[in-house]
Amino acid sequence: MTTLRLDRINKFYGAVQVLRNIDLDIAQGEFVSLLGPSGCGKTTTLRCIAGFETVDQGTIFFGSRDMTRAMPEHRDLGMVFQSYALFPHMTVTENLSFGLEVRKIAAADRARRIAAVLEMVRLTGFEKRFPRELSGGQQQRVALARALVIEPSVLLLDEPLANLDASLRDDMRFFIRDLQRRVGITTIYVTHDQSEAMVMSDRIVVMNRGVIEQCGPPREIYERPASQMVAGFIGQSNTVPGRVAGRENDTYLVETAEGPIRSLGPDGLSGEVRVMIRPENITTDPGGGTAVPAANMLAGRVVKSVYQGDGCILGIESAGGTAFTTNVRADSPLGAGAAVIIGFDARQAWAIPA
Amino acid sequence: MRKTLWDYVYTAILVLIYVFLMSPILLVVLMSFSGGEFLALPMEGVSLRWFETLFANSRFYDAAAHSFRLALVSALVNGVIGTLAAIYVAHFASPRLANPLRVLMVGPLLVPEILTAIALLFFFFEIGIGNQYSVAIQVGHIVVTFPYVFLNVASALFNFDRSQEEAARSLGAGRWLTFRRITLPAIKPGLITGCLFAFVISFDIFNISLLLKSVGNNTLPLELFDYLRFNFDPTAAAVATVSIFITFVAVLIVDRTVGLRSLRF
Repeated sequence: MTTLRLDRINKFYGAVQVLRNIDLDIAQGEFVSLLGPSGCGKTTTLRCIAGFETVDQGTIFFGSRDMTRAMPEHRDLGMVFQSYALFPHMTVTENLSFGLEVRKIAAADRARRIAAVLEMVRLTGFEKRFPRELSGGQQQRVALARALVIEPSVLLLDEPLANLDASLRDDMRFFIRDLQRRVGITTIYVTHDQSEAMVMSDRIVVMNRGVIEQCGPPREIYERPASQMVAGFIGQSNTVPGRVAGRENDTYLVETAEGPIRSLGPDGLSGEVRVMIRPENITTDPGGGTAVPAANMLAGRVVKSVYQGDGCILGIESAGGTAFTTNVRADSPLGAGAAVIIGFDARQAWAIPA
Repeated sequence: MRKTLWDYVYTAILVLIYVFLMSPILLVVLMSFSGGEFLALPMEGVSLRWFETLFANSRFYDAAAHSFRLALVSALVNGVIGTLAAIYVAHFASPRLANPLRVLMVGPLLVPEILTAIALLFFFFEIGIGNQYSVAIQVGHIVVTFPYVFLNVASALFNFDRSQEEAARSLGAGRWLTFRRITLPAIKPGLITGCLFAFVISFDIFNISLLLKSVGNNTLPLELFDYLRFNFDPTAAAVATVSIFITFVAVLIVDRTVGLRSLRF
């Protein structure tokens, strides 16, 4: 069941178009991330849904109701802001109580719901504190609790982890994800951090320059990127330019400077393409090439090796002049200057229209 | 931390500045308790006789009451219109308009008071109100003290994280409720300081009052000036002392009720 639908949303700031034909269907209970570089329109999209920005063209449906022109206070949303936006003159309880009072919920009911939500975000015992007396992580959880206590139909999160330090950020990812699963609330999460989007989302919407580049589950986004931009933005990638020369079953044969490369790709691909291979899918062999997949085998030379603790990052230049990056074990004998054979399976290469 | 020579120098400079600022005031207070016939040093004995003269003089009473009314109305009216103006400039005016507007709003501070007074005098006679019913003088006081409220509220608004308002809206509060429960508490310290300034300044204004007052209704500074023209006894110092005392009490009350310490300059 769809809880939220964006239908061809367009938005302009003066002459600049910041959103172009945004179409999005979000199902009940789904966790969707809007991901992209700064200025891609992800926050603007969220603010349009929240009602803080007006939409120039297009329609926003909540269920079957057209809410395009509704005031923010009538949209039944919970929102968590990057700055948390806690009310500094109110205690934790008063912050949480605000939305309930506005909804004219009876005092006894309010107390019960506030206690339940505070327990959920593990802040029982902090009721009387003011926001300034809490740590960043605790403030963050108060902001989450304040948005959830009104039991909204959709939860909107605008880069809520951006102001936390790294270790806390990792914990909070799983905390928010768990909480979302338990409550079962439809959630839209804006972030520029791809790993955050990856671990939390049911579906990721990758945006760039006001358009949706790709929309799909994390695995699809990572393994089957629809465009160069997506491949480059999510994780590390190696790309080899070439031309489609033929197709065998589901495998394309791509003519490149490195010779023919076998690769998967979307249906109907032809002409100029780029073949993308993730670093972890490249196998290296200092010997005769017996240890690498036979489908695609390239000769090359290690140009740099950077020790990383849990392994080394190798920079390899192939015979055809393409730069590859891959990871090897820390005890690998391959050092700068060493000759190497690299290989990757056709199933782990993905061709993208250039 | 170890004190360096500079710490002592800074302290000494600070003390000198305070002595320079405070000694005239202290002198006036001191002289109001003089036993002599004239405002002069050295004092001839100590007495409360000038306070007696003062409280027996109903003209000072009436003038003080008039000044108090003018100051109170100025503070209250500016509390409303100064806040509205600050909200418009800080939140609603386009960036291109905001800066010129800000300068315009503090205009009364930039234009010499006497010019404002003359302009208002012409204006009120032109529209036929003249100097009746203390309308002109009241408007003059409001105009001149307006920037104090505007500036204080505007600076509070610039430090205010507007996503708090958005949070309130998303929680279901309409515009008015959001203003009352979220924005107003955030700008309250600025608003109170602004109103306090407006009150104190209005109590003190001379030029505007001189030109715009209605017949027979002197403000305290005008009354004091009139008095000093013909008398040079310490009653004037007693008036000043009482007036300082009232201001001091007002500041103290504000500090105790809403807390000036919560204001961050």
